[in-house]
Amino acid sequence: MSHRPLSLLLVAPALAVILLLFVVPLVASVVGAFEVGDGFGFGNFVKATELYTQDAIFTVVIVSLSTVLIGLFSIAIAGYLTLGENPRTVAILRWLYRWPMFIPFIVTGQVLRTFLAKNGLFNNVLISLGILTPVQAESFLDWRGIVIAFVWKQTPFVTLLLAGAMASLDRSTIEAARNLGASRLRILFEIVVPQVATTLLVGLILSFVTMMSVLSVPLMINAQSPTMLTTDIAFRINAYGDYGVANALGLVSLLITSVVAWIYLRHGVRKSL
Amino acid sequence: MPEKFLQIDNISVSYGANRILDGIDLHIAEGEFIALLGSSGCGKTTLLRTIAGFAQPAAGAIRVGSRDVTTLPPDRRGMALVFQSYALWPHMTVAQNIGYGLKLRRRSAADIAGTVAEMERLLGLTGLSARKPAELSGGQRQRVALGRALAINPEILLLDEPMSNLDARIRLQVRHEIRALQQKLGITTVHVTHDREEAMVMADRIVILNAGRIAQEGRPEAVYNRPQTAFVAAFMGAENKLILPGGIDGDIIAIAAGASNAACRVPRGGRMLSTGHLEARFRAEAATLEERSLAGVPNGEGLVLAGDIVDVSYPGGLWRHTVRVGSEMIQVDAPRACAPGTAVHVTIAPDNLFLFDAPAGTIPAALPHPATVLNEARVLEASPN
Repeated sequence: MSHRPLSLLLVAPALAVILLLFVVPLVASVVGAFEVGDGFGFGNFVKATELYTQDAIFTVVIVSLSTVLIGLFSIAIAGYLTLGENPRTVAILRWLYRWPMFIPFIVTGQVLRTFLAKNGLFNNVLISLGILTPVQAESFLDWRGIVIAFVWKQTPFVTLLLAGAMASLDRSTIEAARNLGASRLRILFEIVVPQVATTLLVGLILSFVTMMSVLSVPLMINAQSPTMLTTDIAFRINAYGDYGVANALGLVSLLITSVVAWIYLRHGVRKSL
Repeated sequence: MPEKFLQIDNISVSYGANRILDGIDLHIAEGEFIALLGSSGCGKTTLLRTIAGFAQPAAGAIRVGSRDVTTLPPDRRGMALVFQSYALWPHMTVAQNIGYGLKLRRRSAADIAGTVAEMERLLGLTGLSARKPAELSGGQRQRVALGRALAINPEILLLDEPMSNLDARIRLQVRHEIRALQQKLGITTVHVTHDREEAMVMADRIVILNAGRIAQEGRPEAVYNRPQTAFVAAFMGAENKLILPGGIDGDIIAIAAGASNAACRVPRGGRMLSTGHLEARFRAEAATLEERSLAGVPNGEGLVLAGDIVDVSYPGGLWRHTVRVGSEMIQVDAPRACAPGTAVHVTIAPDNLFLFDAPAGTIPAALPHPATVLNEARVLEASPN
């Protein structure tokens, strides 16, 4: 019992850092969302709803769609790395797939901006392959561009987690299924993915939260309306100095991410990952 | 002997530059239970995986009946493998695990449920259908793995050390359960194990592998009582080893008197040996122990060794003595304990004495003259102390 003051002293620096750098700004932001003029009220939320409801929906749809696509691609890549039978293609894929992880979001946005433009490389390739005529070519610099950028950037991260989890599976669970006659696709979806479902869920949730907070990609690729909430927050502050609405939009983002955080925690308690 | 059913012809398997199996020939009859026995790294699991189709042989062929299955994928060979780790799918229930092979074969749900229930009844798993593998005991998991393999009604059952993860007590029981089930179903079975007793109890025929080759095959009692090489003798429990001078004399093997042994003659029994030095091997329980002060040299048949008790312990049943014979230590079991320091005679009956050519490098450079040493021993016996 006499150790109590000492132990408090030991955790005090860490506690102070968390309080000063995390809790206080967060509380200030939340409180700020309700500050209207001299008092408190829902004015910022009313204004945010009037102006940005469409953007909130746009954000949720884009990030959800990206999450689903990231899930599918990472299962496909990690599945091939685990079950692929050609050692050379497996080695090449293993070497290639991680590169986008090391490229910052802003660079991703910049690269894809030229790649996906109306006269960009993407359209040129489609045209030269005869899939499109030059007249049909259109710019992908809208919601599709954001989705492509997010999937391109986040798939390697989820794949990395997933391939690691798949590699540590008991190989004989895969061989047992082969022994009974399961095809590789069935082995992937009926034997392998169910065993790494928790890892997949965690990877996708972390990606979801990351994508919710990216400003550079929508700013670079989608310079139009509707756009993502991050752009709106930056715009309210930079253009109008309107911290109230910005805080309200921040709180909306926080509510969206806390839904997935809740899924993560619920699963974390059950599986203690 | 019944007709050959599973034929392994001249199979060789390499991993990179390492040759794991080297020209294995093995013919197995329908309904036969074969145990592949060997220490770790001898290639027994590789042979099983090659039969199952998970490893490709560099040379040779595998046939089931008249079909050549050497290049067929694992599921087209009519075989089911039970893995050492059981390899149960943790996200599926017992019923889903057992029924998965049938689901892959597009059998109707009612059909699958019927077979699963039948398997559960056969294996004593009734009432556990809805459990996940994590909620089962080791023995129950093992039976689910067996049920999953048997549900598809394979022609051949392959068992890869299926009992190595079980408690010793449960293992004894499961041995008999698996053997009884195999007899009941009449299914051809290849069982890989490193446990000699397990192989003896379960199998119709034992195949002992050493360094990628078959060292000996035969019925359990034949391999146990007539090992053809020193390796097999040692593997089958004849761990006591002595190098003795001797050779063939017509139908007799004559062992010359040595530093610690009297001369003796044992029937040759068709054994091929070259004259010079012999490696003698015998089991601890196959030798008898007598105090030297009680009698002279025992006049029964067989090899008589003079030694001193170094240590005695009680592993259960018989007392186990460590006896120093010359510069070697041997283990001898006896119904009564002899105190350390006691001078003893150890007698090994001709039937229990396995003799082989001594490998080069194990022969002692010079043996002292035998007669004097034994006489000396007698003088010691006669002295009051």
